[in-house]
Amino acid sequence: MTIYIIRRFLLMIPTLAGITIVVFAISRLAPGDPVSLSLGPGGALDAQRAADVRAARMHLYGLDKPVYVQYATWLGRVVRFNFGDSIKHHRPVIDLIKERLPITLTLNLISFIIIYAISIPMGILSAVGRKKFIDRISSVMLLMLWSLPSMWVGQMLIGYLCGPPLNWFPSAGLSSNDAEQFPFFLWLSDRLWHLVLPVFCLTYAGFAYLTKLVRAGMLDNLRADYVRTARAKGLSNWAVIFRHAFRNSIIPVITIMATLLPAMFGGSIIIERIFSVSGMGLLAFEAVTTRDYNVVMGVATIAGFLNLIGLLLADIAYAMVDPRISFESVE
Amino acid sequence: MNGRSGLFKFFLFLFLFVIILLQFLSMIQSDRLYKRLDTIIRRLENAPTTRTAQPQQEPKISEAKNLPMAEVPGDDGDWLVWRLSAEPRTLNTISDERDVYTTYITGGSIFERLLEYDWDEVELKPWLAESYELSKDGLEMTVRLRDGVCFSDGVPMTADDIIFTYRTIMNPGVDAAVQRTIYSTFKDVIKIDERTVKFVFTEVLWKTFEAVGLFEVFPQHIYDFNDPAEFNKHRSNPVGSGPYEFERWDVGQQVVLKRNENYWGYKPKLKKVVFRFILNDAAALQALRAGEIDFTEPEPEQYSEMKSNKEFTARFRAMSYWQPGVPFFYIAWNETTPFFADKRVRLAMTHIIDREAIVKHLLSGEAMITTGPFYIFGSQYDPNIKPWPYDSERAKQLLDEAGWIDHDGDGIRDKDGVKFSFRLAFATGRVFYEQLAKLFKDTASTVGVEVIADPYEWSVFTQKYRKHDFDALAIGSGGTVEFDPYQYFHSSQIAGGGDNCTSYNNLQADALIDVARRTLDPEKRYPLYHRFHRLIHEDQPFTFLYIRPEWRFLDKRFENVIEHKLGLNPNEWYVPRDKQRYK
Repeated sequence: MTIYIIRRFLLMIPTLAGITIVVFAISRLAPGDPVSLSLGPGGALDAQRAADVRAARMHLYGLDKPVYVQYATWLGRVVRFNFGDSIKHHRPVIDLIKERLPITLTLNLISFIIIYAISIPMGILSAVGRKKFIDRISSVMLLMLWSLPSMWVGQMLIGYLCGPPLNWFPSAGLSSNDAEQFPFFLWLSDRLWHLVLPVFCLTYAGFAYLTKLVRAGMLDNLRADYVRTARAKGLSNWAVIFRHAFRNSIIPVITIMATLLPAMFGGSIIIERIFSVSGMGLLAFEAVTTRDYNVVMGVATIAGFLNLIGLLLADIAYAMVDPRISFESVE
Repeated sequence: MNGRSGLFKFFLFLFLFVIILLQFLSMIQSDRLYKRLDTIIRRLENAPTTRTAQPQQEPKISEAKNLPMAEVPGDDGDWLVWRLSAEPRTLNTISDERDVYTTYITGGSIFERLLEYDWDEVELKPWLAESYELSKDGLEMTVRLRDGVCFSDGVPMTADDIIFTYRTIMNPGVDAAVQRTIYSTFKDVIKIDERTVKFVFTEVLWKTFEAVGLFEVFPQHIYDFNDPAEFNKHRSNPVGSGPYEFERWDVGQQVVLKRNENYWGYKPKLKKVVFRFILNDAAALQALRAGEIDFTEPEPEQYSEMKSNKEFTARFRAMSYWQPGVPFFYIAWNETTPFFADKRVRLAMTHIIDREAIVKHLLSGEAMITTGPFYIFGSQYDPNIKPWPYDSERAKQLLDEAGWIDHDGDGIRDKDGVKFSFRLAFATGRVFYEQLAKLFKDTASTVGVEVIADPYEWSVFTQKYRKHDFDALAIGSGGTVEFDPYQYFHSSQIAGGGDNCTSYNNLQADALIDVARRTLDPEKRYPLYHRFHRLIHEDQPFTFLYIRPEWRFLDKRFENVIEHKLGLNPNEWYVPRDKQRYK
């Protein structure tokens, strides 16, 4: 197992390098560049100065060098854990990430906890009560939720719940204007109140997907011989379902968990835009649209690394929950 | 050795001869250029006959005993929560390249300028300056600073701060290329004494005085830097001399300003101004209705819907006002393409764009058709020039005259084997341009012209603009109190990705622009701009579409809200004590 983990870690290096090369190539090959963008269209610079500034900035950002030299320079910096400065903000990329990561983490952690807390029992209930009322109603409901685009749902929620006459939730941001002056518990409840709608939009589609996975896994196992044997031994229904069937159905749930880390880092562009939450999703989106290459590369590299770590953790978790999965043969 | 030395001397003489010859030819060329220019200028009726106009007035001395803004009446207290549709990247107005959101936050509240436009007379008047004096040749301006002006940290403002700000802007390592262009006619700023500075200019342009007015003074003791990169990174904690000081910046959420209790001028009544970042327009409107924000800039549809909603107008002011500097929108025709080199074709295009329908249907009637880049109610604009009407028959006639005829009977005109099928580039993100492209496509097809909508993401769009790589493009540009058409329409601004993106090249226009920008006397300058206005109305390098007013929604608890000629001034507002929302 240890050798397997070490080997997987070593394999991560070329994989990550491959990811960075692809992202770097795409970002440079895409039309548009940060210098034209910073000069903007219209009446601000005379022609000679525009040309001089353009040349100076291309040199400053190293964009006048061949792409492979730019990549080598970038790689040279990254191995020293320096992601460079944002072209747009004139600030270290890592500082921008540090500012926005807590916002995205808060949103996603809450969302994941809610998704798991609701989907697992619902999946089990649906499987146990297969083709009964609860199964049918939950299937229809979840399918409906799954098919609703979050952008539309977000706008509808803002339109109907945020303004008069209901005025139930705030439509934007993470806290009230004067939240600074609130005592701690009032501040916390204000923050949670602001999180309700964005978290709802982030979770509702996840319910359907995960519930279906848990349900399918449970159904397979409930029909298996070992469950019949367990029942024949006289074990309680509770013990059969949770100690035997559920434990074996958990693998798909772990697979989903592997995507948890990068998703928590990456944030959601759509939800963050609709509810004006400045998290990692918005940072990445902004970086792509403004051709802020260092930020794009910084976010992509860290997200790629977390993705690989997530996959590794999932593999380790497989072995822990299912003794049939072994790494011996791999070793 | 001797032989080699002789060869060396020969090449040296040849080299010197070539240099002298080139110098001589360039002098002749230069003379010819001036002669041509002089001929054109002389032909222009009533135009000055010298190329560089001297100031046509006596030295101007302006003094301010009182501030252009009066003391605010009403109760003290409450906050103004102002919605911004994006978060600025910095609050350093020198290194921001004039980001509009940075200007909203800091302009008039944190940083102040030597001169300010009077809100109603729209004339530059002393502000941080106590007085200014212009030399007779117009090449020097002596500014005396007002006594008792301190930055918000209590340090007095001196001439050194003015000089520091100037040197910072002019430092090539500082990210302020656009501002350096504004100050390109500045030769130097010299300290006379602790409260007096002298601006020295290289040439006389009317914009120079506006540039002195645009000088936002930065305190040296806060912003002094060893490396320009260090200055560029100074994005937060701005310190200025204005009526508000920076309190905090909650990233992604808001910037909070608190009142500068030691302000040297009339203190505003509102204790705090909070700039909330709400990206979504629908969410912003709901936030306003829910009382989370007080002041917002609505979309055209939101404005036209809510202004007639009685429930809404009972609680909020729906304001529409024409302030100098409102943007103008246009379609630029690239004259280097086979389609638009002929001005008859450009005029035909204007005739097939139904601008009345655009204003009525796409902008809910809340805009005006414009015929030039100048402020529609300003003195530069010639109101006698009427917009070309929507007239497809006239367009057909003009296209026929220009030789664009449907030779092969496929419904699309052609000339020399080239079909009249062009791409209209515009930036994605605004529904208006998509609708405009559709409308134009429909009307153009009736005269046998094919318009292909060509939307681009903003960064690609700016690249295409800079490279002049388009057939036609639709865009809006921010105007100014007085507009200098030099960068958009002067032929010198074509090369090197300049702002003359259509490659419009008319010597008469060049001469008018050159003379007008060097004429300080407004009474003589405005007729020159009127002539320029008429010229581009005939030439149509742009089809000017419309100019729209500013729209704002404001909570009605604010009083003393005056719609000045220059717009709204939140520093004048107050909230009666019984209506105050925040403590």
